[in-house]
Amino acid sequence: MKNQEMKWYFIIAVFLAVLMVGIATDVKAAKKIKIGVIGPMKYLVGEHQWMGAQLAAEQINKAGGIAVGSERRMVELVKVDDNNLLSVSDAVSAIERAITVDKVDFLTGGGRSEANLAQQEVMAKYKKIFMNASSGAMQLSMRIAKNYDKYKYWFRVGMFNGKYTGGLIFANVELVAKKIRKDLGIATPNVAIIAEKVMWPDAIIKAAKAQLPKMGMKLVGVWRPSASATDTTSELTAIKNKRAHIIFTIGGGPVDTVWSVQYGELQIPAAMVGLSTDALRSKFWKDSRGNCNYQLVMSYLADLPGKTFYKEYRERFNDDPIFHSLTYDAIYVVKEAIERCGTVESDAVVAELEKTDFQSFRGRIVFHPKDHATPHDLIWGPKYATGFGLQWQDGKLVPVLPRGDAVLGDERWKGINYSTAEYKLPPRMIKYWKSKK
Amino acid sequence: MLSMIIINGITLGGMFALLAMGFSLVFGVARILNMTHTAFYMITCFLIFSGTDYLKLSLLPAAMMAIPVTVVIGMLSYKFIFDRIKEHETAVMIVSLAFAIVLQEIILLIFGGHFRSVPPFASGFIEFGGSRVTYQHFFVVGVVGLVIVGVFLLLSRTRLGNAIKAVAQDREIANLMGIDVSRMCMIVTGISAGLAAMASAILAPIYMSEPLMWLHSLVMVLAVVVLGGLGSVKGSVIAAFILGFAENTVIFLIPEGSFLRGAVSLAAMVVVILARPEGLFGVVFEEERL
Amino acid sequence: MIDYARFVYQWFRGEIVSIPGRVIALIFILGLFLFPLITTQPYILRILIMAGLFSIYAASWDVLGGFTGQVNLGHSLFFGVAAYAAALLNLRLNLPPYLTIPLGSILAVGAGLIVGLPALRVRGFYLSLVTLAFPIILTGVVFIFPGFTGGELGIYGVTSISQSRILDYYVVLLVMLVCLTVMYKFTDAKSKFVRTGLILHAIREDEISARMSGINTTRYKLLAFCVSGFFAGIAGGLYAHFLNIAGPSSLDLFFSFQAILWSIFGGMGTIYGAVVGVFILYPILELSRLQPILEEIRFLIFGLILILTLFFMPEGLSVWVVDKIEIICPRCKIKNVFTRKYCRACRAPISRNMSEEIQKEGDIDDIRL
Repeated sequence: MKNQEMKWYFIIAVFLAVLMVGIATDVKAAKKIKIGVIGPMKYLVGEHQWMGAQLAAEQINKAGGIAVGSERRMVELVKVDDNNLLSVSDAVSAIERAITVDKVDFLTGGGRSEANLAQQEVMAKYKKIFMNASSGAMQLSMRIAKNYDKYKYWFRVGMFNGKYTGGLIFANVELVAKKIRKDLGIATPNVAIIAEKVMWPDAIIKAAKAQLPKMGMKLVGVWRPSASATDTTSELTAIKNKRAHIIFTIGGGPVDTVWSVQYGELQIPAAMVGLSTDALRSKFWKDSRGNCNYQLVMSYLADLPGKTFYKEYRERFNDDPIFHSLTYDAIYVVKEAIERCGTVESDAVVAELEKTDFQSFRGRIVFHPKDHATPHDLIWGPKYATGFGLQWQDGKLVPVLPRGDAVLGDERWKGINYSTAEYKLPPRMIKYWKSKK
Repeated sequence: MLSMIIINGITLGGMFALLAMGFSLVFGVARILNMTHTAFYMITCFLIFSGTDYLKLSLLPAAMMAIPVTVVIGMLSYKFIFDRIKEHETAVMIVSLAFAIVLQEIILLIFGGHFRSVPPFASGFIEFGGSRVTYQHFFVVGVVGLVIVGVFLLLSRTRLGNAIKAVAQDREIANLMGIDVSRMCMIVTGISAGLAAMASAILAPIYMSEPLMWLHSLVMVLAVVVLGGLGSVKGSVIAAFILGFAENTVIFLIPEGSFLRGAVSLAAMVVVILARPEGLFGVVFEEERL
Repeated sequence: MIDYARFVYQWFRGEIVSIPGRVIALIFILGLFLFPLITTQPYILRILIMAGLFSIYAASWDVLGGFTGQVNLGHSLFFGVAAYAAALLNLRLNLPPYLTIPLGSILAVGAGLIVGLPALRVRGFYLSLVTLAFPIILTGVVFIFPGFTGGELGIYGVTSISQSRILDYYVVLLVMLVCLTVMYKFTDAKSKFVRTGLILHAIREDEISARMSGINTTRYKLLAFCVSGFFAGIAGGLYAHFLNIAGPSSLDLFFSFQAILWSIFGGMGTIYGAVVGVFILYPILELSRLQPILEEIRFLIFGLILILTLFFMPEGLSVWVVDKIEIICPRCKIKNVFTRKYCRACRAPISRNMSEEIQKEGDIDDIRL
């Protein structure tokens, strides 16, 4: 009998102990800062959003967490698969779930613009800060200007907006044009634009139509395959037949991989330059079987000498970061803002975020002020985040821009030099155009 | 310009033809709108990719290994799934769709949502009337030609082909003649999966592979099959080339509208169907007495 | 007064309590009405709201697909047209949701006519595949005029249905019940008020005979197209106002397939089957996201559930269940609970075995024909 009684006491004791531990961990959990990483987690974009955030969180936690007032809080990440590539309604449900069920304090990530616009509504309803790292659509920040109080919780920290991205791409095109003039002696190089058929490149194309003649180039045509096209042979052959020297690419979807590969496969005698997301990974050399050689890609981030981000990223994940890995910056920027204001309360943090002047591995992170036409957008410029031009040179992706001289006639760029190599034209192009003379 | 439209049209048309022939065959014989068909194409791409990437094989042995696997998956899917519920037409269609989703998810879990490409048989290109054509494209045209001839020979010259045609014409009578209809349907599903697999073996080096690709190609295959007339293999082949040329004409004539190529060829399909409701070479089935 | 109450009570006993399918439906509806008493968790309510509007969408597919046999593979056309129309009317003309949603639906009816008129020239699978093309063509058009349609961003900033989630919930719930009732009555072959259900059944079973009986089958098929488009449009309008955006994703191919997956899973040609399908599959898919491991494989589970269900119940879940719990009296054709041995109205002996025998005989008759 006595044994039986002991058993019961024991069980009750264990139960209480478990309860205590449960409560204790619960108290501990309350001291964490929860950051939701929201994106298409099964796809490349989402994987890197998660990895970038993970790296930042691990580093911050190792260094003792985030100082909120007098206490230090650890960062806890919540992976939110919003499936935004397939379903917008899923994406909206996901953000609401993250906020109301997982109770996240901040959000980062993003994806398909249509889904982002819908997610902004939920973000605004619950007044949660969303550090978007994956979208360049101007409309996302333009609506902040229209209704500041409602949408002010949104910041664009990863990519530049469409206008700045356009500027950065033009800077890269200008670099190629200069080289063609110098090496091939062609005064007005022909430019063909190949851009995926979504909306954000429209602004860049419109600008290109106005800008290229001013920059001493001639536009010979614009090709718009759909973002999910799997073959661009026809487009590329047509471009070659238009005697283009420069292929100006604008893509962020699957199709940009296709044209990189086919560019090399068809040995198109032109210089490819522009925006391509996949081409920024070191794996891409192997994936494209070296076909991407000599392609110049604009980038928001680069493996710069003296900076540790790439090294740490590779060591941790055995992979190269892509644009979407800039959730890393997003978390650091939030950390800094929280530490300055000493609270995680959204409105106070927004006020601090607006004052952000953060030294990231890729330059100074400063946001547009609230009275700008596109508030809360990351600023591109000679003294800010500069962006880069990276070229594939025989298996390596090397920074070739900014290289210390004026960009697009702006003298302020002089002296800002991150390049480690000289830009090269593809030898097949030099051969082809020299033989044509 | 014209030469480019022709060359690229033949390649694209060849791809549609390989995919659509199998689809059409299954519809004609087993009366199934097999939505899994392009998913077979997708999984073979990934099987080949795992052969070339993980086992370090070259394309040919990798394809040799991948094609039979797909054929077996196709036959098993008929035997264990479709055969049982084939009386319920819409249910079969939905089950085939669900099966495609299952395959897509399995591939997504194993390979992730990345874009994969495999090395070609031979890299390089030929300059042809001012336009560049890779060896792989030529190879596609050659293989497509051989396969089309092969399928026609199979259907017209062999006992198996006669049996297949008999089932397609009238399954009850075929059954009375001692043909095992269910087994025939399984074989045809296998053949069609094999055709899809062959398509991926020659196209995987040209196109990128990703787990969702089956949905895009499914639309084009459906358009081709309808345009050619459901159940008509000949019609599918001809329609495939028509749509292949239509897409390329769009790209070359309105470069800024090249995203419209799918929409334009679908619109062309709709117009033809409205003029000729049974497609170009449609077979009017006996049950459909309207 | 008391007489009236007694009448209602008797009607309730005779027409609802004694028929298990209707009891389930009643419990389901009451459950939905009382649900906010259990929880007002906005995420849970969102799932139910989405399930509600998707069930209108799926049922509207069923009106066309299940009752006239016209398998529409491009149903998202109606949904998308109405979503875009509602969003544009709301933003450009500042119309409130209770006007934009019906107006959007009327435009969807217009789309139904545009698709339906030519599509009726073709039959069977051809019709399915022609309808498949329309949303894809329309997506192309959306991208041609990005200034008007917003391109891939869609039209954003649409006003919400109401200011609170609970109010949203009740609005959607009421709209859903009204829409489903209308669709059910429209397609009910036994209805004493409208003939359409009977006619649509006749067309599905044998179009030539129907035509020989003096029915203008084309007109009725077109009517079904319009009704189907109208209710899909209501769902689309609600969607645009609930998510505050109408974008090209509402025209997606997979979105069309989803309507079919739901209604076939639940049971085709029943209306309530579509509701069953949505209210089972949608929450399963959504709630499995709360568990990280399940989240990874949720679409795999979704596919397998579909395959297994249709494998064992090819006519759909609800049809199978109703078949198991209800027996139709062989003599007076009245529905009975499966536990009864004798019909509740005419006392004729009914048993599972017997009705199966009758069915078998029926099969033999069919073959002889």
